Amino acid sequence: MSLSSLLRRSNLEALSLSQQTAQHLQKHASTGTSTIPIPLLSYPESTDIWLTYERLFLSCLRTGDDRAAFNCLEKLISRFGATNERVMGLRGLYQEAVAKDDATLERVLQEYEEVLAEDAVNTPVAKRRIALLQSLSRTTEAIDALTELLESSPTDIEAWTELAELYLSHNLFPQAVFCLEEVLLVAPNAWNIHAHLGEVLYISAMNGNENSEGKILAEATRRFCRSVELCDDYLRGYYGLKLTSDRLLSILPDDIKSTAQVTTVDNGELPMLSTAVVRRLSEQATLKLAEIIRTNNNSCDLAEITAAKDLLDRSTQRRQR
Amino acid sequence: MAGALVQSIHRDPALFYWILFPISIVMVLTGVLRHYATVLLQTAPKKQGLPALREQRSLLRGINLRSNSSAVSSTAFAARRHYLVSAYKDGTFLKDPDNRGKPAGNPMTDPAAMEGMMGMMKGNMAMMIPQTLIMGWINAFFAGFVIMKLPFPLTIRFKSMLQSGVATRDLDVRWVSSLSWYFLNLFGLQSVFIFILGNDNAANQMAQQMSQMNPGAGAGLFQPGQDPDKMFQSEAENLEVVEHEYILKGVEDRLLASIE
Amino acid sequence: MPTERELAISPIVQESVQHNTQVISNIRSLTASLFGVASGILGLESYAGFLFYLLGTFFVSVLIWSILAKGKQGDYFQGAWSELWAGDVLNGGMSFVLTWTLFYGLVRA
Repeated sequence: MSLSSLLRRSNLEALSLSQQTAQHLQKHASTGTSTIPIPLLSYPESTDIWLTYERLFLSCLRTGDDRAAFNCLEKLISRFGATNERVMGLRGLYQEAVAKDDATLERVLQEYEEVLAEDAVNTPVAKRRIALLQSLSRTTEAIDALTELLESSPTDIEAWTELAELYLSHNLFPQAVFCLEEVLLVAPNAWNIHAHLGEVLYISAMNGNENSEGKILAEATRRFCRSVELCDDYLRGYYGLKLTSDRLLSILPDDIKSTAQVTTVDNGELPMLSTAVVRRLSEQATLKLAEIIRTNNNSCDLAEITAAKDLLDRSTQRRQR
Repeated sequence: MAGALVQSIHRDPALFYWILFPISIVMVLTGVLRHYATVLLQTAPKKQGLPALREQRSLLRGINLRSNSSAVSSTAFAARRHYLVSAYKDGTFLKDPDNRGKPAGNPMTDPAAMEGMMGMMKGNMAMMIPQTLIMGWINAFFAGFVIMKLPFPLTIRFKSMLQSGVATRDLDVRWVSSLSWYFLNLFGLQSVFIFILGNDNAANQMAQQMSQMNPGAGAGLFQPGQDPDKMFQSEAENLEVVEHEYILKGVEDRLLASIE
Repeated sequence: MPTERELAISPIVQESVQHNTQVISNIRSLTASLFGVASGILGLESYAGFLFYLLGTFFVSVLIWSILAKGKQGDYFQGAWSELWAGDVLNGGMSFVLTWTLFYGLVRA
């Protein structure tokens, strides 16, 4: 998960991390490689150091510092050997990053396929191959490869989320929802996945036909409710909640009570939300968003806070009009 | 009564430096040594082929569906349940579909099982050998005298065990030989090991004893000698009886109630 | 034990439970050794010594309850009373006896 978690960090952090690489490599030049194998004397080796190397490698590639990235990669290779699966994945990533044209990328792809022919279980290389197919814009092949990976490994949530993204980019909403539900079956308390599913449902409601819009929006609202129930100050959850509840308010008639309502969502499983409840949810979301923006602790991304402020401003404008 | 008198024996303080501390230090060092020896002797987990992996993970998928079914709607759950139950019954995920119906392999002849048992035996050996060695060493070098006085009294029965080398009748049970210092250390140093070596150290005797008592707990999903087909069938039955409750039912009311 | 539905609504995170138990266990073993040193130096005998240990452990539990758990042990532990107040007393008891015997012998002689 390190790649995806790194991508969530801002570009600024990645730049500062990569600039520290040179110092870091210098300081830990002799880690874990003492000539006298007395564990009490040499610098204790911990898994954290190698995780740091991996993250440094990724952030260097991201900021374009190929030389430092190569150094990190060499250190990893010398410690774990070139046949270690994860190291092979990182090496492939490096080759893709420094490739100058499509022909080189094709060659890297072929190398991946050779490795996989020998050893079909090499998950990091299989995932790199899928990522490469995506960057070469061969998305149908990527989707096929992902489904094959998931056939043998149906509990891999990284793969399911990636598949959901691919389906979303092609506007295949029911399939994307299916994939995200699979992720939820493995990690039911992941509030970010609940929020993501809510977002997918919202997008599908906006792009779908008018009749089912209300129902899908109700489901999306409920998903966002669950995500903030699990995490009290999740900005994205409240953002989505406000978005969906405002939209629902604008399309629902003014006096729906849930018991008298005939339309139901989820094939008749849950009743439609009553207008009063939706209104209160919207107010609560607005309050919470304002509070989070005000307190503005470092857990929130700057971009997210700006977007939230934007949403609040837009909604106050709408109300004043 | 001889026991009412306070018995005090004058001892040379050098006794402590030459006996108590060396025994403690030796025990701490052997514990550390045992921990590293276990870590080094562990064989890397064997890599499994694709069909075996698929079998294991498909079973995991069924278990996840059963335990986390509340996260998805009834229709989604029903669709998945239908698919998985029919797949389990047909044995689509089995790694050797031809082996269905045959009894499970004998643990003695199956090579994978042998490795698992060897691993357990190695762990047990690493535990018992240092203990016996140290006890023998103590009996050889430090026998025949009492070393210290326990601050608390014990019953007479312990006298033979704790005062092993000294054959007196009247000596208070509180005077003990070095073997009892060994026992005290054995039990008391476990917390010290947790501090030095982190929580899962191999010198942890209590964990060893407990794992011997519950051999089933903590064992991997596919122990040698278990039939995967039967596991799939039982999982299919479990899935069929699951009652589904949707977590999103009433979530908005719960949320609004929590902010009151 | 909360019902299954309540567990689904507010799940219990295994890692946090383990972390909490480990913190308690660390504190107890450390303080048990220290209490052993104290009672050895004080020269306490049998019942007095054990009583000292129990009182000391109780005091430490009160501190844990008020400072670490901020008075709300339901938030941190399931089955709140037993774990915070009586968890790991026996293990600590062993360390206590070890250091007590050692220091009793060292100081008394």
